[in-house]
Amino acid sequence: MRGKQQIIPYLFLLPALILLIVFNLLPTIATAVESMFVISLRSGDRVFAGFANYNRIFNDPIFWKSLQVTVVFSLIVNPFQITLALGLAMLINQKLPGIGIFRSIYLLPVAVSLNVTAIVWRLMLDKNTGMINGILFQLGIERQPFLHSTDLALWSIIMIASWIGVPLWSLFILAGLQNIPEPVLEAAKIDGANSWQSFTRITLPLLRRVLAFVLVADTVANFLLFAPILLTTQGGPQLSTNLILYETYRRGFLYGDLGASAAMLSVMLIIVFLIVGLELYVLRGDD
Amino acid sequence: MFLKRLVFLALFFLLVVAPSFAQDVTTITWLTLGWPVEAIIAEFEAQNPDIKIEAEQIGFNDLFAQIQVRLGARSPLPDVIAVDVPLVSGYAFRNWLLPLDPIFTGDEVEDWLPAAVNAGSYEGTLYAAPISTSTQLLFYNKACFDRAGLMPPGADDRLTWEEIAEIAPQMTFDDDGDGTPDVWGFIWEQMVRIYQLQALPESLGGAAIGEDGLTVDSVINSPEWIEAFTYYYNMFNVWNAAPQGEEFWPADIFETGNICMFVGGPWNIPRFANNADLDIEWGVSRHPYFEDGVAATPTGSWHIGVNANSENVEAATRFVHFISTGEGAELWWREGSGDFPAQQSVLALFATEEEFDELPMSYMRTAADEATVNPRPRAVTVGFLEYEQILQNIFQDIRNGAHVEESLNLAVQRIESEMAKYRE
Repeated sequence: MRGKQQIIPYLFLLPALILLIVFNLLPTIATAVESMFVISLRSGDRVFAGFANYNRIFNDPIFWKSLQVTVVFSLIVNPFQITLALGLAMLINQKLPGIGIFRSIYLLPVAVSLNVTAIVWRLMLDKNTGMINGILFQLGIERQPFLHSTDLALWSIIMIASWIGVPLWSLFILAGLQNIPEPVLEAAKIDGANSWQSFTRITLPLLRRVLAFVLVADTVANFLLFAPILLTTQGGPQLSTNLILYETYRRGFLYGDLGASAAMLSVMLIIVFLIVGLELYVLRGDD
Repeated sequence: MFLKRLVFLALFFLLVVAPSFAQDVTTITWLTLGWPVEAIIAEFEAQNPDIKIEAEQIGFNDLFAQIQVRLGARSPLPDVIAVDVPLVSGYAFRNWLLPLDPIFTGDEVEDWLPAAVNAGSYEGTLYAAPISTSTQLLFYNKACFDRAGLMPPGADDRLTWEEIAEIAPQMTFDDDGDGTPDVWGFIWEQMVRIYQLQALPESLGGAAIGEDGLTVDSVINSPEWIEAFTYYYNMFNVWNAAPQGEEFWPADIFETGNICMFVGGPWNIPRFANNADLDIEWGVSRHPYFEDGVAATPTGSWHIGVNANSENVEAATRFVHFISTGEGAELWWREGSGDFPAQQSVLALFATEEEFDELPMSYMRTAADEATVNPRPRAVTVGFLEYEQILQNIFQDIRNGAHVEESLNLAVQRIESEMAKYRE
């Protein structure tokens, strides 16, 4: 009877586990294996090549440029999204007049698919016909090539990613905020803590677990950002938005260089693992 | 009881008898662009009742990635593919295409334009049969010339790029004063594609690729390319006579009167001629050139090939033979692609068919002649896909304001990086 009870939780986990294995673990292993092979261009035969693909991409300036863009993008987009998401969650958690309406509206971007969002933003950001530039012109500001300037394109992608990311992550943080016991905050107030002290000494420490999850999930999601790049800038202008996953797609699916593509993907996965490990270590708790 | 028997008989027919009829029909898949394929398929199926064609029609931008992934994976499908001619050598190099020499007679091969046969061959073997070819003309809206107080060119005139630079800004109008012109002076039909833009440096004496078919350094960043693409940059960024931003299809905007001139293919002639709702007076002239250079006209052809791993080779080759020769080729020209035919016997119809005696369809004769004036095919290289895609990105960047020389140097770096695998 006891043995049977021990098995039941695993049975509940089984469907999710199978999906994880089929759609995550096996492709990851297959990618790592593929990165060790080259495909003969003439015969199509797969030949074991050891680390030749890695050697090739490490000597490729385009790979390093993509990695650099990805790192810069991640360093900006993750803190940006999480800070805004935290602020948004704090706002929604307030009992203000009309907040109910705002709570219904702010989640709308999450309900629209990322692909549709990217296409709509692409149209809105167009220099000649886009709505945003129309508004700028009416305000007497020069039209801006948002998606076609090396100075603006990455920021535009950050904005598009955050349009969905901020409300999504704020939802998780809101759940964390609502789990903070009211008496604890009231006790702090009685003890004379001001709002800032209450936020830094009570709210933030008690949100640590939720923030750790959001930080890890956000990092992974932004490292794997693909659709907005494909649908807006296609890595341009001048590779300024050429995130590593898009470069991986380009190599594998457009140029048919699966070995280099798999090697890039494997390197990216290792980097993601290291960053996530570091984040979890920094945000580790005693509880 | 009767009902039971009826159901049994119906099931027997569906499961046993019907498949035995169906087994005699071979279905082949044809991966192709969004051309009107109904007429050619109907005629072929009528003449070949044992073969059924299923056309998988996809957009121009997706075709290459689809072929790359499916043929690269040695998939037996699609059986037949539309091949953009510069890619023939790359596909043949990878053994993705079936050699086609045995299915055509000497007369059939001789009927094709020699340039098209060469372009469809790799190392002396034909891998893709030509089904169309192309040239380029300057299309213009006469009302724009009137409004700017200028004289439009005649069908046999050839403007210089310098003249285009002078008149295009005069035909760019911001009627509503919103800071963006409502009528643009000029655009290239394929505004960021090497097919059309290669003619710019070639008019100045530049080459498309190095002699080994792989090297681009000192070729696509040569003084001729820098001069040509500075002109291109100026058109969009300095003279502001052509629209920046997203890629679009200029013929649609030309029809609304919002583009005054565009360089485009002869497929636009029947399009405009047959558009009863078209409310503009239009004309054509020959493809422009640089004053100090030579006339260089873009050309390229669409071919059709058989997947080397197809399980229906006999049926697939029969279809390829039909569409690329004789009555099938003529039908494809009349009711299929709308492009120029690659068969000399079909091309000759331009001179004899009454349809082309009067304007505007007589412009087709101008185009037929233009196709013979220094036609410049795209680079022959096994890495054409990478070459084209990277240059497309670079042209889009230059169009939207990127520094010309820096952009071309970046293209060199990227293309050389991709070509490295073909050198090994």
